[in-house]
Amino acid sequence: MKTSLGTSLVMHTLVLSWALLSLSAPASFEVAPVDALPVDIVPVESITQTQKGEQNAPKTEKPAPKETKNQKVVENAENAGDNDIDLKNPPTPAKRPVETEVAAAPPKVEKPLPNPTNENNQVKDIAPEETVEKPQEVAALPQPKPEITPPTPKPEPQPEPKPVEKQAEEIPLPDAAPIPAARPKPEPPKPQEAKPAEKPAEQKPDAKAAEKTPDKKVSDKKQEVAKAASSQQSDFNADEIATMLNKQEAAGGGAKRSTEVASRGDKKTIGVGLSATEIDSVKGQIQGNWSLVAGLTGVQEVRVRIRVELDQAGNIVGQPEVTATGGPEGTRRAVESSTRRALFKSAPLKNLPPEKYEGEKGWNVLVLNFDPSEFAL
Amino acid sequence: MEHADLAAAASSVSLWSLFMQAGLIVKLVMIGLIGASVWTWAIVIDKYMTFAKAKRQFDQFEQVFWSGQSLEELYRTLAERQNSGLAAIFVAAMREWKKSFERGARSPIGLQMRIDRAMDVTIARESETYEARLPSLATIGSAGPFIGLFGTVVGIMTSFQAIAGSKSTNLAVVAPGIAEALLATAIGLVAAIPAVMAYNKFMGDAGKLSSRMEGFADEFSAILSRQIDEKLQPRQAAQ
Repeated sequence: MKTSLGTSLVMHTLVLSWALLSLSAPASFEVAPVDALPVDIVPVESITQTQKGEQNAPKTEKPAPKETKNQKVVENAENAGDNDIDLKNPPTPAKRPVETEVAAAPPKVEKPLPNPTNENNQVKDIAPEETVEKPQEVAALPQPKPEITPPTPKPEPQPEPKPVEKQAEEIPLPDAAPIPAARPKPEPPKPQEAKPAEKPAEQKPDAKAAEKTPDKKVSDKKQEVAKAASSQQSDFNADEIATMLNKQEAAGGGAKRSTEVASRGDKKTIGVGLSATEIDSVKGQIQGNWSLVAGLTGVQEVRVRIRVELDQAGNIVGQPEVTATGGPEGTRRAVESSTRRALFKSAPLKNLPPEKYEGEKGWNVLVLNFDPSEFAL
Repeated sequence: MEHADLAAAASSVSLWSLFMQAGLIVKLVMIGLIGASVWTWAIVIDKYMTFAKAKRQFDQFEQVFWSGQSLEELYRTLAERQNSGLAAIFVAAMREWKKSFERGARSPIGLQMRIDRAMDVTIARESETYEARLPSLATIGSAGPFIGLFGTVVGIMTSFQAIAGSKSTNLAVVAPGIAEALLATAIGLVAAIPAVMAYNKFMGDAGKLSSRMEGFADEFSAILSRQIDEKLQPRQAAQ
């Protein structure tokens, strides 16, 4: 037994030492190094609520961008301008207006396309036919124009291009430049009826152009047709890209409309409301001073709304409006009065950022809502 | 910085550092299991040699026994030696036979019974030596994994406490403690698996040897019984 115990011991020592030496550290897995990605949290208010003024305009109390001529409202526009597509780059006036506009005309001739189908093959077939007819149509254009104008009010898309075009005629060239850029996306999905209506509006300046370039247009048109087809199908906005790339025409400018006289503004005003944290801080100050009589029935259904005017120091100006809703009458009154007391006790309100005082959403008028869970009971 | 830390953490997952990082209880468990493994293999080697030797001796003895040699002579050569197995049974039976005849046994049945008893006792003693220490193999085989699991559970508990203290759930923090704890189970299995296999094998071998001894005892008892009859017949006739 001793010999076998010795043998076993020796064997184990050998195996263990081998394991310790050769099985030291398993190769660690390959991990691709990941660079830390810096993330900034940018409140959207800083973009959507910023009041932009005009740099060269005289100072006034409230900043306002230059009045826009195009008053058609574009949703979610952030940058002031006459454009129909909201672009961030500032408007650039066209440098060479006349000839370049003629060159830029071909895209508009695209309208006579009869079928809005997505397939390119069909479009190719049709394109040559149209081009053949084109010159005739163009020559005849002035005559059909009055005939077709009556139906114009019916189709929806019509009002969009028309005012723009009219302005273009009236205003000196640099201003007329944004017209092509203004041509919006709605074009591709337009029904066939809409096309004749648009023609007269847009082809007025094109009449010459159409005559001048009878053959070249064929290829141009094909490209344009392809573009239109592709823009129908995907989110990719070819028009927007085109307007941004186009250096010949006036491009850029936002689509946010302004009706006010341009002014530079007295101080930097960002119409940003208080953040949730700041509102919470104010609520906390009021809650700290809250003493509500215990044992009120139906407190759980009461909601309180406070509307209070404040001065820059956080003092209450005038009489705050405290409205309680829901719950029994007595409870509501008790909650209202305790809220008012708490509000006066906690004045002046602290921790309010001075830069957010001004503006529509600023805390010059503070509106707070309390629900039962927030009453300091 | 972080990469360096991770690399350092990864390199410290070697077996030795795992062992050294472990807590006291886990260390004790691991050492105990390694000891159990050593003991298991000691028994395995011992039993292997014992059984091989026993088998050889059985074969040799049977060869000599059935070779037609005089049993008296065989007894005389074997009596002085330290015998085991079949030889021990033979010697025990022969000794009883001799004693009985030297003092003049009267009843053949009583003699037969005494010889059988003597052989039974020897068989029991021999098979006891063959099966000695096999129960400890069985114990290691069944308890080893549990002991290892105990070490693992304790190790994981302590490492979770440590993780809670470090306030980080980074894998580099979590993994070493768990790997270290799992090492205890690994050692338990390493000790237990050979123990179970060896136990089954050696129990079978011991059963074979004891059945062989019983078979020999029966045969020898038959031979002796014939001898008794032959030797007692003339005496009874003389009386």
